[in-house]
Amino acid sequence: MSADALLQLRDVGKTFGDTVALEPTSLSVDEGSFVAIVGPSGCGKSTLFNVIAGLLTPDSGEVRLSDEPVTGTTGHVGYMLQKDLLVPWRTVEGNITMAARLTRRVTSEDRAEARRVAEQYGLGEFLRHYPSALSGGMRQRVAFMRTLVTHQPLLLLDEPFGALDAQTRLEMQQWLLQVWKDTGRTVLFITHDVDESIFLSDRVLVMSPRPGRIIADLANPLARPRDVDVLIDPQFIEMKSQIMHLLHGGRR
Amino acid sequence: MRRTLLRNVGIPLLSMVLLFALWQGIVVFFNVAPYVAPRPLQAIQAVTRDWSSLWPLVLATIRETVYGFACGTLLGLSLGVIMAKVPFLQRMVYPVLVLSQAVPIIALAAPLVLILGFGGTPIVVIVAWIVFFPVTVNVLDGLSHVDQDLVNLARVYGASKWRTFIQIEIPATTTSLFSGLKIGATYAVTGAIIGELVASNGLSLAIYQEHADSNFNTAAVYGTTMLMTAIGISWFLLVVGTEVLVTPWQRRSVARRPLFHRRAAVVPPTSQH
Repeated sequence: MSADALLQLRDVGKTFGDTVALEPTSLSVDEGSFVAIVGPSGCGKSTLFNVIAGLLTPDSGEVRLSDEPVTGTTGHVGYMLQKDLLVPWRTVEGNITMAARLTRRVTSEDRAEARRVAEQYGLGEFLRHYPSALSGGMRQRVAFMRTLVTHQPLLLLDEPFGALDAQTRLEMQQWLLQVWKDTGRTVLFITHDVDESIFLSDRVLVMSPRPGRIIADLANPLARPRDVDVLIDPQFIEMKSQIMHLLHGGRR
Repeated sequence: MRRTLLRNVGIPLLSMVLLFALWQGIVVFFNVAPYVAPRPLQAIQAVTRDWSSLWPLVLATIRETVYGFACGTLLGLSLGVIMAKVPFLQRMVYPVLVLSQAVPIIALAAPLVLILGFGGTPIVVIVAWIVFFPVTVNVLDGLSHVDQDLVNLARVYGASKWRTFIQIEIPATTTSLFSGLKIGATYAVTGAIIGELVASNGLSLAIYQEHADSNFNTAAVYGTTMLMTAIGISWFLLVVGTEVLVTPWQRRSVARRPLFHRRAAVVPPTSQH
């Protein structure tokens, strides 16, 4: 295993009743990298995430973060879902500082940081707005800022842009790459969308259901920074075709 | 702002005025005898004429309502929380709660007086008895519908159960809680009056009305009814007002500046519509 691996899974498996949600899986994720996970429903993507986040205790294996065992414990990752899960009774500022409020007293530094992050990423004017006043894209950005200010080195993003329209989604992807570059976090990103997985990542893990497992681990050859032109790059097309065949079968 | 005020206060007031006009119209048109139904103004006059002796009775009824409502809310809230958190207790207690509401409240009053004696205490108990049930049912319902993904998110952040409860589950239940409180508020005065009928030691608003009735003072009977109704409406409006105050996110898109720890005026205060 690489010396600068932030996250390491060793033979992590999970079964629900008779269903093998996740076959014993090993995985190593380098610090600062962006890893996308694609696969159909029921391939164990979310089980994998919940095990890493500590919401589920695996039947076997071990999860290590920065070489510390964290199996079955929480409080060590940033976590974001397709649902923005903003609370309607807090303003944008209050939602960004939510992780702090859930673990200790919110300090003026927390609030200052929330303001700084919101201003930096274009939501400065909306700090005192309630989430109900925001568009879907803005809400997802707030949810992401909330994830960011947890200061966790590893961010687990489970289809964060899945509910957005295509236009907003493209904007959000570019925005996410910018934030990722600025902050140097490590990102694990679940998606259904093959284009999205290639556009964003350094590496794509392809998963398959029954039993849930990783069937391919592909390095992404595309150079950064990337813009929308990447979507018609021959290397992009090649990688997309490879992933499509892995997901849907057929000859190559 | 002006328009909303007109719509929210003006229209309900207008419907009240129309109701009184209808009452007046019926009494005049059908030439109803004054001992059957007085005109609205006569009923109001009967109250104002005897205001000095009515006022302390009104205060007592308000006190019983408020105490009973407070006890009922506290009991209802605690039961709702406990039942939501301990499924075993939920199964055990729920039938007892339903039973408690199936008992006719009048039939309950007599044994309560035997146990607690005449006076304010049994009246407060009756009000609480009526108020706690909708509060419990709504709080239980609200707590069991809190988004589990949100609760899981709090867990991922490393939140304790207690903080998750205070910061997520309780605020998420506010709307349901107020639904229960509003139902409770409308019944609370009814409970107090029933209690007064059975348990008063000495004069009370309900007993005053009985005396007026047996003296064929119909205007005073109607006037007292109006007074009781007014107490009920005021109490309901107070609960609604509290809800508006504590749930600003339901009707505002931007939060007000907090009353305390204002930041130095970075932004000049702008008028909000």
